[in-house]
Amino acid sequence: MAVLEVRDLRVRYNNTGPEILRGIDFSVEGSDFCAVIGPSGAGKSTLIRCINRLVEPSGGSITLFGEEVLALNARDLRRMRRRIGMIFQEFNLVNRMSVMDNVLSGRLGYTGSFRSLFRLFPRHDIEKALEILARVGLSDHVNKRADALSGGQRQRVGIARALMQQPDLLLLDEPTSALDPKISRDVMSLIRDLAREFDVPVLCNIHDVQLATEFCNRIIGLQDGIKKFDGPTETMKKSDMELIYAMEVL
Amino acid sequence: MAMTDRMASENSDRGILSSAGASTYFERRRSARIRSALIWSAAALLLFWCLHVTVIADTDWERIGGRFGVLGSIGRFLLLDLSLLPHLIIPAIETMMMATLGTLLGCVLALPVAWFGARNVTPSLYFFYPVGRFLMVLSRSVHEIIWAILFVGAVGLGALPGILAVAVRSVGFISKITAEAIENIDPKPVEAIRSVGGNQFQVMYFGILPQIMPVVLGTIIFEWDINIRRAAVMGLVGAGGLGLVFFRQMAMFNYGGVTMVLLAILMLIIIGEIVSHFARKAVT
Repeated sequence: MAVLEVRDLRVRYNNTGPEILRGIDFSVEGSDFCAVIGPSGAGKSTLIRCINRLVEPSGGSITLFGEEVLALNARDLRRMRRRIGMIFQEFNLVNRMSVMDNVLSGRLGYTGSFRSLFRLFPRHDIEKALEILARVGLSDHVNKRADALSGGQRQRVGIARALMQQPDLLLLDEPTSALDPKISRDVMSLIRDLAREFDVPVLCNIHDVQLATEFCNRIIGLQDGIKKFDGPTETMKKSDMELIYAMEVL
Repeated sequence: MAMTDRMASENSDRGILSSAGASTYFERRRSARIRSALIWSAAALLLFWCLHVTVIADTDWERIGGRFGVLGSIGRFLLLDLSLLPHLIIPAIETMMMATLGTLLGCVLALPVAWFGARNVTPSLYFFYPVGRFLMVLSRSVHEIIWAILFVGAVGLGALPGILAVAVRSVGFISKITAEAIENIDPKPVEAIRSVGGNQFQVMYFGILPQIMPVVLGTIIFEWDINIRRAAVMGLVGAGGLGLVFFRQMAMFNYGGVTMVLLAILMLIIIGEIVSHFARKAVT
């Protein structure tokens, strides 16, 4: 049973601009760690952001957990978003807040405005945050400011924030692009382990093909807003890569 | 202008001198000199005319009565009236409170104005944005004394109109800087708060506020510092504080007392400088 089902997804920025996504179809199963690969400007980020409507698609349909995302009103959209964890290329932390507050901000969807005004997070949320921070190896940095950490550590904060949501789907937008090769591999394997542990499907856009084939069980290849490949990682051949990147892959 | 002329001439010196272009080059150079001489003499004439109208023709030279007259008038201010000292304490405190309360009220009023007037968060770009921008300009384009006169007319004499005047005058600067800070934020944390399902308030409170806080606090402290100065003159139009004492001493021709008030204002401003110096250090 597919968790996420995307049909004929189309995106056009400013009604008159060129189409960024030109009719994308795919689905994600409950146990998938699915990579979206493709050259820069292919529409990978746009595609990921359509799923939780950070970008507003201009046509098509997105069915998530059996609900039509594009038909949700503002309130239901927020309810939907809190079930989707998102990890960003540049971590998107609030730099001037502590690591703890950043992780707790993952619970904002479940916290009323008044409570969040005084940062009155329930006790079990705080316990949960400590637990997750220990799991990602940041127990010693709980009260530091987010901008005092290194790149790899900051991405772990980003991961912890996404996990705080107890998500039913994880969206990763180039989670390793701002990190060096070794840290990238560490972060990817941490995410893979946690996804298994929490039993969450992952949709991950990534431009590093090697990382994609190493960690993902399925690959979707995007080029210029059109899907060029969709299949299990082991079925992807060199010729498919050449098609996606429209160049000779050595 | 002159700079570019010279550079152009240096370039042309190299090859053109021997050619037929040389004579036209010297002609152009001469006419440029004549033109600049004309412009400078016109400017000098204009300046002299201004001086004549405003100072030479408009001053009551008889009344000044020579060099010693001026010195004597200034001298009268130097005989300090120390008996006034005990009567300055309450007005000085009142001035300080007027500045502080005015600044706080100004912050509260600036909040919605900044929200309306920041392009990226305004509720409506076609209605609230222009309204916000207009309020910013309105607040700053009217002098604090004029605001005070308006509020004295509206709520009567005392410190209250002074507080209101200081507050309304502060809104423009605080909200303008805040709105600009909001427009310059990093959009990434905002995106993150939206993606976890945060509502509009949470996006502002967690995504935007932490980013603009240092700038806003610094601006508020700066504005408070300025507001001490503003509060000190509020009394001239009947809005309480040291200004009122100043006005009375002036009316009684007690020049020594006037100097005492000025010294008290100076003290307050020095205190304000010191406090804001340390406060600004604490927030950055």
